[in-house]
Amino acid sequence: MIEDKAITRTVNVALLGNPNSGKTTLFNHLTGLRQKVGNFPGVTVEKKIGRFNLDQLEIQIIDFPGTYSAYPTSQDERIVIDMLCNPEDRNYPEAVVYVADTTNLEKHLLFFTQLRDLKLPMLLVLSMSDIAMQDGLEIDIPQLQKQLGVPIVAINGRKGNEVNLLKEQLQHLLLDKPHFSDKSFYQITNSEKKIIESIKAVIPTRSDYHALLLAHHGHWLPHLSDEQKERISTINKENEFVDLKQQIHETMQRYNRFEPIVQKVLRTSQDRSTTTEWLDRFFTHRFWGVAFFFLTMLLVFQAIYAWATYPMDWIESGFGWLGESLKNILPAAWWTDLLTEGVLAGLGGVIVFVPQIAILFFLISILEEVGYMARAVFLFDRLMQRFGLNGRSIVALVSGGACAIPAIMSTRTISNRKERLITILVTPLISCSARIPVYTVLIGFVVPPITVGGIFNAQGLAFMGLYLLSIVAALTAALVFKLILKSEGQSFLMLEMPAYKVPLFKDILLTVWEKVSAFLIEAGKVILLISVVLWFLASFGPTQKMAEAEATAIELAVSRGLDKTATDDLVAASQMEASYAGHIGKFIEPVIRPLGYDWKIGIALLTSFAAREVFVGTMATIYSIGSNDDEYSVHARMAKERDPLTGKPVYTLATSLSLLLFYVFAMQCMATLAVVKKETDSWKWAIIQFLYMTTLAYSSAFLAYQLLSI
Amino acid sequence: MSRSLSNLALKETSIVQSFTNDEVGSKLMSMGMRPGTMVQLVRRAPFKGGCYVKAGNYYFALRRNEAACILVGE
Repeated sequence: MIEDKAITRTVNVALLGNPNSGKTTLFNHLTGLRQKVGNFPGVTVEKKIGRFNLDQLEIQIIDFPGTYSAYPTSQDERIVIDMLCNPEDRNYPEAVVYVADTTNLEKHLLFFTQLRDLKLPMLLVLSMSDIAMQDGLEIDIPQLQKQLGVPIVAINGRKGNEVNLLKEQLQHLLLDKPHFSDKSFYQITNSEKKIIESIKAVIPTRSDYHALLLAHHGHWLPHLSDEQKERISTINKENEFVDLKQQIHETMQRYNRFEPIVQKVLRTSQDRSTTTEWLDRFFTHRFWGVAFFFLTMLLVFQAIYAWATYPMDWIESGFGWLGESLKNILPAAWWTDLLTEGVLAGLGGVIVFVPQIAILFFLISILEEVGYMARAVFLFDRLMQRFGLNGRSIVALVSGGACAIPAIMSTRTISNRKERLITILVTPLISCSARIPVYTVLIGFVVPPITVGGIFNAQGLAFMGLYLLSIVAALTAALVFKLILKSEGQSFLMLEMPAYKVPLFKDILLTVWEKVSAFLIEAGKVILLISVVLWFLASFGPTQKMAEAEATAIELAVSRGLDKTATDDLVAASQMEASYAGHIGKFIEPVIRPLGYDWKIGIALLTSFAAREVFVGTMATIYSIGSNDDEYSVHARMAKERDPLTGKPVYTLATSLSLLLFYVFAMQCMATLAVVKKETDSWKWAIIQFLYMTTLAYSSAFLAYQLLSI
Repeated sequence: MSRSLSNLALKETSIVQSFTNDEVGSKLMSMGMRPGTMVQLVRRAPFKGGCYVKAGNYYFALRRNEAACILVGE
């Protein structure tokens, strides 16, 4: 066991490997909960950073996106190569832990041999050694270690038994700096030598291969200056450098050199991966595969609706009890009101949706971890192409059901710019988990809670209907963009179908934990802030106006002969109308009247342009200030809301449906817009997206309300 | 005359000879499929979609036009 002694410094270590190499599982074993998600500067590719301690050293390990070779074909891989080509990069590692899948060793070694030529200290981890054993694979590790010239650790990915051995080896590598052979798997040609020498003369490099990669990637590497790019391009021209030919030559030579080694150290007894092939007869079947996909989606949404009811009820009654208790314990003062009506109402409105969001992320990450997503990509590639999308877009569209932000980030694997752009533009139309609160609250006003066909909950079906509507909208929008936008470059599918594997519960729980805590912290901050600000705006107003409102209300109550509770309610409602929030709401009311909304809903609409989940918190705050009841459920409060003039319920079928449609289509998420701006590198697309979605929202809500209220 | 992977019969096995498109070829090589690799056309996707291909002991999804860039033969 390695114990924490005096830590002298922090060391950057990069975790690299092909996609599906078992990298992330190893990362979780190494760091557990000591990890956080950040972004690479300038781009929104997720960067997972974890920490663990060795003797004297604190290791900061970064889980980089899976990469096939030093010749990137997607945005994801470009980030890795840019970092490796720039020793000044703040993520540049002192050592690399390279993860290779034992059961597919050959194809995982290409990038490994390229990294070796960058002269970074390396440790090779053979993952999935347990599966290899089951398959009857035998591997001569000492021999492989000798031939590849780096220390090797075989890891049982599921149990993580040998993680301590890995840590010891890493410590040895970092502290004792043992010397390993410089053996390369690529013989640089004479013409390449000339290029390398010229590049080395103008840009400092760590190795010959580093210089060669600069010749290849000089034109796009973000860290190079324009002058450096210019010089590299001149050098390439002078030497008639043909990069694609060189790349193929290099790749072939590397394979030819390490393949015999792999064959020598690896003994296999049977043809493998038959289970995967057998399962895929069903999952990629032209009929059953498609049917399975839709059935799964149906079950996912039923699950969100049905399973989450119980924990949601507990949370709701918990907050109700807490609010009551606080009101009883604390003295009657304005800050008690702020705490119970502002903070608690706002927070409760958010926390109550954690169960639904957790279930959604849980199910989607199971689909990803099992390896199913690649099958969906394969099945729907052709269909997606018709809409101007790529098969990979299905991953974005499905995970868009959880949150548009990671979904938009997942489009980095789409190499064609037009397909990627369309995917980014339409993904936020897919109903995300932040809409769940709004839908849940509003569906109750539109559909009764009855059972249909013996098993399905009618509200659950309506919920599913909203999702379907959002999918239809996304595909239609994609079709329109396909016709408008110019296409450029070739489009590819070329996707590896990983072998199916039983997901590790730990990996999935970590993902769910990460996403839910991000939702609570990020959304929670905004919602809390808005709730507090809103409480002030709704509780205070111009002094004279507030006093006038109170006097008029009391007068009215007396003339109508109202009792004490009803009088208090009337006073509170009139005062809110006279408050600052009331003024703002009244100001925008003319614009939203045609949609069937009053000024209170207007305030909720305004605040939810920051983030749509704010809607429910806002509603909770507004209606709890506006009444003196003990009700803590937002839905119940909204149901009691009456139009002060007509005395009819505010949330009629027309208004509720119009509001639902507005939330299905509207672009109400600052964070998504920011990500779109980063990913597309301009405000242009973010603005276009905001405008087209909001127009769609307004016009459909307008139509729904006007048609239903005839 | 050499054939391409896209016109193999279902379940037919062959060996990759070369690629007619360098962009497709270089990407496939980095993913492990290269001249000399044993390939099999396992399945075709619905909606006139792509090919499910076994190469060595792993699987790829390729579009028809991508599979057409892969020349195969014994």
